[in-house]
Amino acid sequence: MLQFLVSRLITATVVVLGVMCLVFALIHLVPGDPVEVMLGESAQPADKEALREALGLNQPVHLQLLDYLARLVRLDLGTSIYSRRPILDILLERIPATIELGIAALWVATFLALPLGILAAMHRNTLLDFGAMGFALVGVSIPNFWMGPMLILVGALWLGWFPVSGREGFMSLVLPALTLGTAMAAILSRMIRSALLEVITEEFIRTARAKGLTEWRVIAHHGLRNALLPVITLLGLQLGALLGGAIITETVFSWPGIGLLVVEAIQRRDYPVVQATVLFISLSYVLVNLLTDLLYAWIDPRVRIQKGP
Amino acid sequence: MRMWAPLGLVLLWASMALLGFVVPLAPEHIDLSKILVPGGAEEWLGYDDLGRPILDRLIMGARTSFFVAFAVVGLSLCVGTMIGTFGAFMGGWVDHALVRIIDVFLAFPGILLAIALAGVMGPGIDNVVIALSAVGWVGYARLSRAQVLTVKERDHIHAAIAIGTKPLRIMVRHLIPLVSAPLIVEASFGIAGAVIAEAGLSFLGLGVQPPAASWGSMIREGTRYMLVAPHLVITPGVAIMAVVLAINLFGDWLRDWLDVKDQTRLG
Amino acid sequence: MKFPTSHFTKLAIITCLFVIPACNEPSPDVLRFGLASAPSNLDPRFATDATSARINRLLYERLVDFTQASQPVPSLAMWEMLTPTHYRFRLKNQNSQFHDGSPLTSRDVKTTYDFILDPQHSSPHRSSLKMIDHIEVPSEDIIDFHLARPDPLFPGYLIIGILPARLVAKGHPFHSHPVGSGPFAFRGRPDESRLQLVRRSDSQPFEFIRVPDPTVRALKLLAGEIDMMQNDLPPELVAYLAKNPQVHIQRGRGTNFAYLGFNLQDPLTGQLVVRQAVAHAIDREAIIRLVLGGSAHLAESLLPPDHWAGDSSLQGYDYNPEKARSLLAKAGYSQEHPVHLTYKTSSDPFRIRLATIFQHQLTQVGFRVDLRSYDWGTFYGDIKAGRFQMYSLSWVGIQTPDIFSYVFHSRSVPPNGANRGRFKSPSADRLIEQAEAAEALVDKRAYYQQLQAYLLEALPYVPLWYEDHVFIARREIEGFTLALDGNYDGLQMVHRSITPLRH
Repeated sequence: MLQFLVSRLITATVVVLGVMCLVFALIHLVPGDPVEVMLGESAQPADKEALREALGLNQPVHLQLLDYLARLVRLDLGTSIYSRRPILDILLERIPATIELGIAALWVATFLALPLGILAAMHRNTLLDFGAMGFALVGVSIPNFWMGPMLILVGALWLGWFPVSGREGFMSLVLPALTLGTAMAAILSRMIRSALLEVITEEFIRTARAKGLTEWRVIAHHGLRNALLPVITLLGLQLGALLGGAIITETVFSWPGIGLLVVEAIQRRDYPVVQATVLFISLSYVLVNLLTDLLYAWIDPRVRIQKGP
Repeated sequence: MRMWAPLGLVLLWASMALLGFVVPLAPEHIDLSKILVPGGAEEWLGYDDLGRPILDRLIMGARTSFFVAFAVVGLSLCVGTMIGTFGAFMGGWVDHALVRIIDVFLAFPGILLAIALAGVMGPGIDNVVIALSAVGWVGYARLSRAQVLTVKERDHIHAAIAIGTKPLRIMVRHLIPLVSAPLIVEASFGIAGAVIAEAGLSFLGLGVQPPAASWGSMIREGTRYMLVAPHLVITPGVAIMAVVLAINLFGDWLRDWLDVKDQTRLG
Repeated sequence: MKFPTSHFTKLAIITCLFVIPACNEPSPDVLRFGLASAPSNLDPRFATDATSARINRLLYERLVDFTQASQPVPSLAMWEMLTPTHYRFRLKNQNSQFHDGSPLTSRDVKTTYDFILDPQHSSPHRSSLKMIDHIEVPSEDIIDFHLARPDPLFPGYLIIGILPARLVAKGHPFHSHPVGSGPFAFRGRPDESRLQLVRRSDSQPFEFIRVPDPTVRALKLLAGEIDMMQNDLPPELVAYLAKNPQVHIQRGRGTNFAYLGFNLQDPLTGQLVVRQAVAHAIDREAIIRLVLGGSAHLAESLLPPDHWAGDSSLQGYDYNPEKARSLLAKAGYSQEHPVHLTYKTSSDPFRIRLATIFQHQLTQVGFRVDLRSYDWGTFYGDIKAGRFQMYSLSWVGIQTPDIFSYVFHSRSVPPNGANRGRFKSPSADRLIEQAEAAEALVDKRAYYQQLQAYLLEALPYVPLWYEDHVFIARREIEGFTLALDGNYDGLQMVHRSITPLRH
């Protein structure tokens, strides 16, 4: 286990460094002089110089990179150009909203996907299976920037059950969580179905069947238990889709999380905030994937040995 | 059998994209007296917030999504396959470095990197293509690398190396054809992803600029009038959903037909 | 069996990480005001955007205010002109108190203005106050302004909110924690989108909530999540809300002046014929009727006709596409050889909508127009830097006619003023200087009216319209009066007539 842990940690560190370099490069992709783009051409020369200094843009590129990495190590994310506040404070303020939305969406996804996946696997190649998988396919084909407005149209405008947007209480969480969760549920139900189908054919399931257990008991007690493991891993990977989807979902619903922060910062040309937020989202994604890997290894010792490239 | 309906839809999309070149359309013709007029006998889908015909704009949007999707997938496929094949073929530290670079790109979840790139480079459809390709090549590189690793030990490849064939020739003539089936399947799903991604960036205001039309920007503009004219947002959304669903079904069929093992695709 | 049951416990632990989040319900006695954009700076020394200025009027008091006809009137202080370069202000009300309980004295006024005048602080308001040479405070309630040059309109410039000197000295963060002497006091700002104030006269709590999306703002009003809002709503939504019995709507004329600006140094937009063709190509009346829902009035000058220096006899350019075409033809342009213009606008959806209409109408007479929309900061930066051919903007809250010098005098090219189109006309400069030098108001007025007629001829701007103000509130909200410049002063009298049963 220790060896596995160390090797995964080393890989993760390399990836983290790479991500930091790529995020650092973002500001150099700004067409023209980033300082002028951010402050406007009419800004005072002194202000421009101060910002150039603060961003370290007056040094050679390799020094800038080292400087950037050194500041990251000290948890210094810089200052927002728009609000002139420390970016770390802004991030910390926004993170709870995104976590709240993410957890709620995971709930929605799990509650939709589990029954759908199980039903589809139990009644393979029947109308039920086609129906469930058809739903899953439609689910992945509806972009969340359309799903969101449609839910608003029906749930908020026509029925008036939910608030249109914002983050005010439990009811305001429902529509964004549904938007984000349905897309995940679509993918997840397909995964659960194929994971179940794979274990169903295995020896111990056949034994259980032979013992005369009902199909439901076979699936619930033996199939699901073993199918859950790969699903958990995939759930970790799905966090990527969740975080990516959160950017658009938060924009649609004005949900004050870090996804909305990225979009706002782009519109305001507040590039330090864009950099910091992108970095934060990616690093948390890397971290969750790492944890999922380790968790998987903890639950299923065979992974440690099997682990290939 | 089951491929005809999706294929028909995809062809409809393609012909809509090309139709604009033949049929006179007025997607940018403003008629202030027709603002937000709903659909009817004269104009099926009604008019938008500037009195422009929505059907015409839908067709222009089809063109935008069609060309962006094919440009992005074409670029990503070529670049990704070349890089992935090269890495796997060379092996050693080249391959090792490639794997790390792929890992780094995959550490940016979903559409995040494309949004950041498009946002930093500034709005515009050319930057959308660049941003999506910069993110898209990774999938093809990873897939082609994995595939090449499984076939590069085959006899005829060894034979080609033995008779002194140039590496580039081996890669293009022998390796890539062997691994093309899963890549084609991946690319067909990639088209669906690119359609959604382009519309998503345009929805965020990072894609086409007015008065040009994209399905994403039509949804963006439509959401402001949902209360008084929901047809503005429903129409382009149905178009996206139909096209993406069709491509996904077509991709499923293609995968079965080419007998490619299900790869774990990520959202 | 493959796994012992304990693995299920591990899975259960993971599942337990899913937690239901807590929620917070709004309290019913607060009056909620919906805003399209949040106030970015609550420090009047630095705030420049319209929302901040309107909120700051509630938080702070100023020396001078304006009548409906934009005549300066005493607010905190009465004034007399002792000599043309010496103004004496006397604080009217000894009881004026800051929110922290300390009294407002002449020293606070001096500290506030001294701070702005210090070039080190680079306050955006310094340029409009540069004529101040020094400030003296002979007593608790007297402030003497000594000017470097005479300026009869001087009192009209003293509209900056007064800050407590004690806190200024400490470097208090006014931008986030404002302390003034205005009718409203700062209560808190839980996040960027919400600002809580309390009305000092009756301790009525207020909350300003930023809801950028107009549809959402309208729905929140219907749902009772906000009680009132003003402007920034497309006319379709206003019409929709007007039909609802829960809502009442107040409309009032406004002074915010919308215009098309040109770069006069550009080889194309520098030509008068091209600008005249633009003016004749735009169908302002159709836009007002069909797009703005009738909630605007045609404008021919920066100052509205009922301003003391305004002119109601100005004859504007009518919508005449034929004439526009023939003007272009005379200048040697044609369908094959069109005038190719780039039009810049901010990324605000309504601005883009207007820009797209202008683009279309200009195309009809033979222009080729490229639209470029940028986020506000970039757009505004480009405009100030003169990097444009044509753009559209509004002047908000114009009260004093020194705006003409600020916008059209040849020495006001940025960063010295707002002559963004680089309009350089000796005749305009002369009229502006004559108007400024004139002692009597009637003479000033005459010069300014001549100037406005000349500007309409020379056409550095194509005047569009004055935007109306519309106040939309739930039925039970009473007592609001609309201001000409769209400020929120009406909130001082606003109240809820009956407590609604449910929120």
